[in-house]
Amino acid sequence: MIAGRGRQRIRPPRRGLHGDDIDFENTWGTIASAFREIHTKNASRLSYEELYRHAYRIVLKKKGDELYKRVKEFEHEWLSNEVRSSIQALFSPNLLANSQGLGGTTTNERRVAGERFLRGLKQAWGDHQVCMSMLADVLMYMDRVYCQDHRRVSIYTAAMVLFRDDILNSPTSDIEDRTVLGLLTQVILDQIQMERDGDVIDKHLIKSCVYMLEGLHVDEMDAENQRLYNVSFEHDYLETSREFYRQESELLLRDSDAGAYCKHVRKRIHEEEERCRSTLLESTAPRIQKVVEDELIKNRIHELVEMESGVQFMIDNDRLDELNLIFDLYSRVDDKWELTRAIQKRIVDMGTDVNSAAIAASQAPPPAAESGEKGKGAVQERSLNQQTAAAIKWVEDVLQLKDKFDTIWRVSFMEDQPLQTALTRSFADFINSPTFPRSSEYISLFIDENMKKGIKGKTEAEVDQVLDKAIVLLRYIQDKDLFERYYKKHLCRRLLMNKSVSSDVEKHMISKMKIELGNNFTLKLEAMFKDMTISEELTAGFRRHVEGLGDKDPKRIELAINVLTSMTWPLESMGSGDDEEGRRTRCNFPTAIERIKRGFEKYYNEKHSGRQLTWLPNMGSADIKATFPKVPQKDGSTKERRHDLNVSTYGMIILLLFNELLADQFLTFEEIQAQTNIPDSDLVRNLQSLAVAPKTRILIKEPMSKEVKPTDKFYFNEGFQGKFVRIKVGVVSSGNKVESDRERRETEKKNDDSRGFCIEAAVVRIMKQRKELSHQQLVMETLSQLVGQFKPEVHMIKKRIESLIEREYLERIEEAEVDSYRYLA
Amino acid sequence: MVLKKYEIEAALATEAQAISAGKLKEDNPLDLSEDFRIFCEACRRGDLKVCQEMIHTGINLNARDRYDYTPLILASLCGHYEVIRLLLENGALCERDTFQGERCLYNALNDRIRNLLLSYDYAKSTNPLQPLAAHITSLLNRQTPKTSDITLVSYDQSFHLHKFVLAARSPYFARKLAAAPPTTSFKLPQTVPTESLGLTLQYLYFQEVSLKTATFGLSDEEELAVLKGINKISGQLEIERLFETITEVSDRRLLRQQRAEELTRGRYQLEQWFKDNVLQHKMVIDTDKVDNIKWDRDNTLYADVLLRADEIEMCFAESEGSNASPSPSESSTPPSSTVQSTLGRLNSIPIGHIRTRSPSCTRAPRRSTLYPAHRAMLLRSEYFLTMFNSPFREAQETPHLQIITLDCSPAVLEIILTFLYTERAEFGLDIAIDVLFAADQLFIERLKQRAAQIISALGNGSTSLVEAENPRGETDEEEVVDIYEVLRAGWDTRVQRLEEFAARYIAYRLEHYIDEAEFVELVKESAKRVKGRQETDTIELVDDIRYYLSERFRLRFEDSGLDEMMDESAQDKVAVALEAMEELGIEDKAEEVRQKEVFAAGAIRTLDGEIAGDEFAQDAINYQILLGKIDRLLEKLDLDA
Repeated sequence: MIAGRGRQRIRPPRRGLHGDDIDFENTWGTIASAFREIHTKNASRLSYEELYRHAYRIVLKKKGDELYKRVKEFEHEWLSNEVRSSIQALFSPNLLANSQGLGGTTTNERRVAGERFLRGLKQAWGDHQVCMSMLADVLMYMDRVYCQDHRRVSIYTAAMVLFRDDILNSPTSDIEDRTVLGLLTQVILDQIQMERDGDVIDKHLIKSCVYMLEGLHVDEMDAENQRLYNVSFEHDYLETSREFYRQESELLLRDSDAGAYCKHVRKRIHEEEERCRSTLLESTAPRIQKVVEDELIKNRIHELVEMESGVQFMIDNDRLDELNLIFDLYSRVDDKWELTRAIQKRIVDMGTDVNSAAIAASQAPPPAAESGEKGKGAVQERSLNQQTAAAIKWVEDVLQLKDKFDTIWRVSFMEDQPLQTALTRSFADFINSPTFPRSSEYISLFIDENMKKGIKGKTEAEVDQVLDKAIVLLRYIQDKDLFERYYKKHLCRRLLMNKSVSSDVEKHMISKMKIELGNNFTLKLEAMFKDMTISEELTAGFRRHVEGLGDKDPKRIELAINVLTSMTWPLESMGSGDDEEGRRTRCNFPTAIERIKRGFEKYYNEKHSGRQLTWLPNMGSADIKATFPKVPQKDGSTKERRHDLNVSTYGMIILLLFNELLADQFLTFEEIQAQTNIPDSDLVRNLQSLAVAPKTRILIKEPMSKEVKPTDKFYFNEGFQGKFVRIKVGVVSSGNKVESDRERRETEKKNDDSRGFCIEAAVVRIMKQRKELSHQQLVMETLSQLVGQFKPEVHMIKKRIESLIEREYLERIEEAEVDSYRYLA
Repeated sequence: MVLKKYEIEAALATEAQAISAGKLKEDNPLDLSEDFRIFCEACRRGDLKVCQEMIHTGINLNARDRYDYTPLILASLCGHYEVIRLLLENGALCERDTFQGERCLYNALNDRIRNLLLSYDYAKSTNPLQPLAAHITSLLNRQTPKTSDITLVSYDQSFHLHKFVLAARSPYFARKLAAAPPTTSFKLPQTVPTESLGLTLQYLYFQEVSLKTATFGLSDEEELAVLKGINKISGQLEIERLFETITEVSDRRLLRQQRAEELTRGRYQLEQWFKDNVLQHKMVIDTDKVDNIKWDRDNTLYADVLLRADEIEMCFAESEGSNASPSPSESSTPPSSTVQSTLGRLNSIPIGHIRTRSPSCTRAPRRSTLYPAHRAMLLRSEYFLTMFNSPFREAQETPHLQIITLDCSPAVLEIILTFLYTERAEFGLDIAIDVLFAADQLFIERLKQRAAQIISALGNGSTSLVEAENPRGETDEEEVVDIYEVLRAGWDTRVQRLEEFAARYIAYRLEHYIDEAEFVELVKESAKRVKGRQETDTIELVDDIRYYLSERFRLRFEDSGLDEMMDESAQDKVAVALEAMEELGIEDKAEEVRQKEVFAAGAIRTLDGEIAGDEFAQDAINYQILLGKIDRLLEKLDLDA
C-alpha cells in the first residue's frame, strides 16, 4: 500500500539537519551556559530536548571532537576554579598540622577538622557525579557515536578522571607538594586510628570517601588493582596497621597473659572485619586480616605458646576456653605446627611422668633388700602385687590423660582432624617409649583386673565404656603380638580358674578386639573359648557315660575336665609345667583319681581316636569334703566339723595322703614329694597354702615357719577350725600378676621367636608374589605387612632373610646393582 | 542428530494428523493466489523491490505454493542473499527439525546463505513482536521513571498500571475509564485472589503467562480458587481468551503459535486504540500558538506528554500547490509524478488545508503538529528514557502536559509513534532517510534498521529489473536514488547495510559514477573515515565496490562456464585496451575519459579490430577497464589501496 507502483524517490533529509549553517561557537555557548546552570543546580529550568538537539547536531556535523574537547576544558576549568577553592577552604591548620606530627593538636580538634574536610570532599564528589551524569545524559549522542567511533572514554569517565587530576592530585598548598589525595588518605588513617583507640568516628562519611577512591583509577586503564583506593590508600592503610599491630602485640605480650592476649587478638580481628564492612571496602578484609594475623599471631606464635601462661599452663589448668581461643587464632594462620608441637610435647611429658611413676611404684619397696635370703619369696610376692597395682594405676593414669586431652580436643580444638592425629601419635610415642617396655603387659593386666573384679555390679553401658577405654589404649600399642601373648596368658588363667565375672563380657571384648585388630588377632582367643564349651560338653557327656555304667557308687568322684588344644593355649607360660630339663613330670594320682582318669581317657579316645591327652594337675582344682574329728577346740566345743575344701589338684593329692595316716603320724616334705612326684616349686607353694596360710591351715608344719624346707614334717591339723563350711584354699601366686624379670625375659624370647616366624612368613609371601625384589623394597613391604601386628626391627628382618637364603627359599641375584633377591620355587 | 527417513515420515504424518485435527496450526498453508505467485516469482528472481512490496501487502511469508515451495526455500535455492535476509527479517520461519526448515537449509545455494539461515533459526530468534511485548511487560515492574497512572488494589497487593494499556486491552476498562478519566485507583472485590489478578494483568501486559508458575507451591484448593478468580475476572474484564491462553500446552510449536496469535491480537488491539485515540487527537496549529495549548493531566486519552513536530519553513519555488499534499494518514503514499527534482520538494506535511496555500513563495504561518502520547511507550526510545529519568524540565511534574518538540517533520514523528506503539514501520522511500536520522537521534535501533531495510530494498530503481539481469550497468535516465545522500546517511547513522547497499548500487552502475566529481569526493570521504578510525590502508567503499563489481561480472562468466578461456583471451585485449586508456587518461581531461568509457565496447572493437560483438569478451574487458579506472582514481587521489 505504501510502496505502490508509482515512483518514489529518496529525498535528502530535511534541511537544517544537513545545512552547513550550524554555528558551532554559538551552539557551544548555549550548551556551556546550560552546563553552568547544571553545576549551580538550576537544571530544572533547562530543556533536555534543546540541549540534546544541540549536542546531536554538533556531533552530526562531525564536530564531536571539538565538542568533547570543549566539555573537558569546561569541566577542567570548573573543577580547578570553583571546586578546588572550596576544598582548599576546608584546610585548617589542625588538618595540615597532621603532617608534621601530632604536636599541639588534640585528638578531638583533629577529628573535627578531619570530618569537615571529608564532608566537603564528599559533597564535592557527589555534586560532581550528579552533574556529570546529567551532562552525560545531554551528551548521550556524543557518547554513543563519537566516543565509540573514536575510542574515547565516555564523557562521564573522562570527567571523573578530571576530578582526580584537578582535585585529588592538586597540591594542598603552594609550598607543600602533598596532594589532596595524600591528605585524604592521611585523614582517613587518622580517623581509623582514633577508632582503634576507642573514639567514635563517622564511618558513613569515610565510607563515601572510600567509594570515591574506589571509583577512580590511577591511569586510564580500568584495572581493578589500579584503583586509587588500592594504590594510594590501601597500601598505606596496611602499612600503618602493620606497624600499629606490631607495637601493640609487643606491648600486650609484655603486659598480659596468653589468655587475655588471645581474647584481645580475637577482638581486633573482629574489629578489622567490621571496619572493612562499615568503613572501608570488603575487598580489603582478607588483606588487613592477613596483616593482623601476621603481626598478632604468626610472628608471635612461639612466644605465645612458650609463655608462662601459655599452652602448658592452659593444659595443666584446664583452661578450655583459652585453649579454644588459641586454637581459633592458630587456625587462621596456615600451620598449627607450633601449637601441635607444644601440645605433643606436653602429652609426652605427662605421659613420661605417668610412665616413670609406674616404674617408681613398681620398684618402690626396697625393704626387701635388707631381709635377705629368708624373706625373699614373700617380698617378691609383695613386690609383684605392688607392681600389678602399679600397672593398673598406670593404665588408669594414661586413660585419665587421654580423657583430659580428649576433652580439650573436643571442646577447645573443634575436633580438628590433624590435631587428633598428632594427639594419637604423641600417645603412641610415650606408650611405646623404649624406656617403658611394659605397656602391653600393663594393658592386658588392666583388662584382666576389670574382668575379674572391676566390672562387678556395673551396668552394661559402664562395662562397655571400660572396654572401649582398653581398646583405645590397645590402639596405641605398637607390639600387638606381645599384647596378644599376655592377653592369652591372662585369659587362660581366667578361664581355667573361673575367675572371669562374665563370659559375655569376655566375648564382647574379643569381638571388640576383632573389630580393632582384625580376625587374625583373635583367632586363637576364640579358639580358647571354643575349647571351653567343648570341654563342658565333654564333661557332661562323660558324666552320662559314667552314670550309664550302672553301679551307683556314692563315693564316686565327679570329674570336670577342660580339654585344651595345646597350640592355642599358652600352657608353657602357665609356669611350672616343665621342670628345668624340659621333661614333663607325671605326678602320681591317688588310685581313686587314677581310675577315673583312665575312665575318661578311654571315653575320650572312643570319641576322638588318635589324640593324646596330657594331664595338667597344676592347673586343676578339686572340691573335697573333709571331716575333722571331735577334738577339743579352743572355745571348748568338741563337735565333729565338716568342711568343703576347695583346693588345687596338687593340694588334693597331698591331702589324700593324710587320709591314710593316723592322727599323730607325719610326712616329711621329701616323703610327700616321693609319693606324689609333684614338682618342687608346686609342692612348696601348695604346702605353703595348706600349712602356712593362717586361715587354711589344714596341715601343721614343724618347725613352724614360713619357709618350706625339705626336712619339714607335716601333720594333719585335727583342730582346724573354719568359720565357713566352704573353705577355699588359695594357692599362692595363682593370680595374674606382673611378670617377674625372669618371666619377662622368657616372654620376650618367645615373642621374638614367634616374630621370627611371622617375618619369614611375610617375606616368603611377598617374594612368592614378586619373584624378584631389591632388598630395600623387600624390607619396606615386610614392614608394611607386619605393621598391624608389631614393628619388627630391620636387623631382625635381615637375619630372617639370611636364614631363608640358607634354607634356599631365596637367592641373591648376583649381577644386580642393588642388593636383590630371587624367590626359589 | 540425523533422523532416518522413516522417522521423518512418521513425524510428518503425526504433524499432518495434528493439523487436520485442528490441534496444530499449519505453519505453511497452501496459497494459490495470484499475489503469492508473483511473490514466489520475485523470490526466485531475487527481485527485492517486488518482494518488499508484496511483504507490505501483508502476504503470508510462510505459505507454500502448489509445489510445496515456500518463498524462503525458493530464495535460498536460487541464492538471493538479500532476499533471504529480507524474508527472515520479516518473519519467515526457518526452524530446524521441521520439514520445511530443513529443506531451506538443505537447499541453500552456498554457505553464506546457510549460515544466515542458521542464525535466524527460530529456536534462537523470537517473534518480531517480542520487543514490543517485552517492553509492555516491563512496564508492570518499572519503577523509574514513574509512568503508571492508575493503581489497582486487591486485598493484599496493589498494582501500578497504565490506563491506556488497560483501555486498549480490555473493553471493560475502556468503558469504565472513559466514564471517569481522572480515576487514579481502582479497588477490586476482596474475593478475587491476588494470584488471579496478577495473572490477568500479566496477560494484559503481554507477558507469557503460565498457570503452572503462577500457582507454583499452592495447594489444590488454592489453585482452584485462583482459577475461579481468573474465570471471574476474565468475564468481568471481557477478555475471554485469557483462560484459553493460560491452559498449559506442552507442545513447543503449538505454544509458539498460540503466543504468536496472542501477540498479533494484542498488537491489533493496541494499534486500534492508538489510531482511534492518539492519531485522532493530534492537533495541527500555528506554531506561534503552540504555547497556548494546555492539556490537563486528566484527559480522556490518559496521555501524559505532548509531542510536537514543526513543519519546516521554506520557500516553495516550484509550483506544486495544486497538487494537494496527501492527508496526514496517508502521508507516506507516493507523491505525484510531476515531481522533478529531489531537492526543494515539499515535505509531505500532514496539514489538511495546505491546498489553500498559494503556490508562490508566500510565507504561510508556520504550523506545528502535536500528538498526545504516553511516556510509558516513549520509553522504548533510549532518548526518552534518559530524558524522563533526568532532572531536566521535561521530566518534571507540571499541571499541564509538557510539550516536547522533536526535531523532525510531523510525518516522521507519526511514523516513530506508530512504531513505538505498534512495532509497525511502513513508510515510503520519500521520508526513509528522515526516519533513519530521527531513529538514530532517538536511539530506536529497530526502526533505524527498518528504514535502512526499506531504502536498500526499494531503492534499487523503479524498474523491477533484477541486478543480475543488468550486467552492463544500464540505468534509467531517471535515478530514484541520490546514492551519495544514501551513502552519507549510512555513514552518519552507522548503518552497515546502507554502506553495502550503496557500494553495490554504485558498482552496478559504475560507468555512470566513476567520473563524477562527487564520486571522487565520496571516495575521499571514505578514505578519511577509515583513517579517522584506525591506520589501515583500505578504503572501505572502494573495497566494497570492487567486491560487487566482481560479483556483477563473475556471475556472467560462471554462467557461461567459459571463464578460463575468456580470461585468457580477454587479458590480452585488456592489456592493449588499458594502454590506450592509460594514454587517454593521462592526456585527456575527465570529460573525454567519460566518453571513452561509455562507449567502451566500441573502443575495443576499434582497438582490437578482430573480434566484434562478443558479449563475454566485452564484459571481461569492461570489468578490467572499470578496475583500472578505480586504480587510476586512487592514484590521482594519492591514496594507497
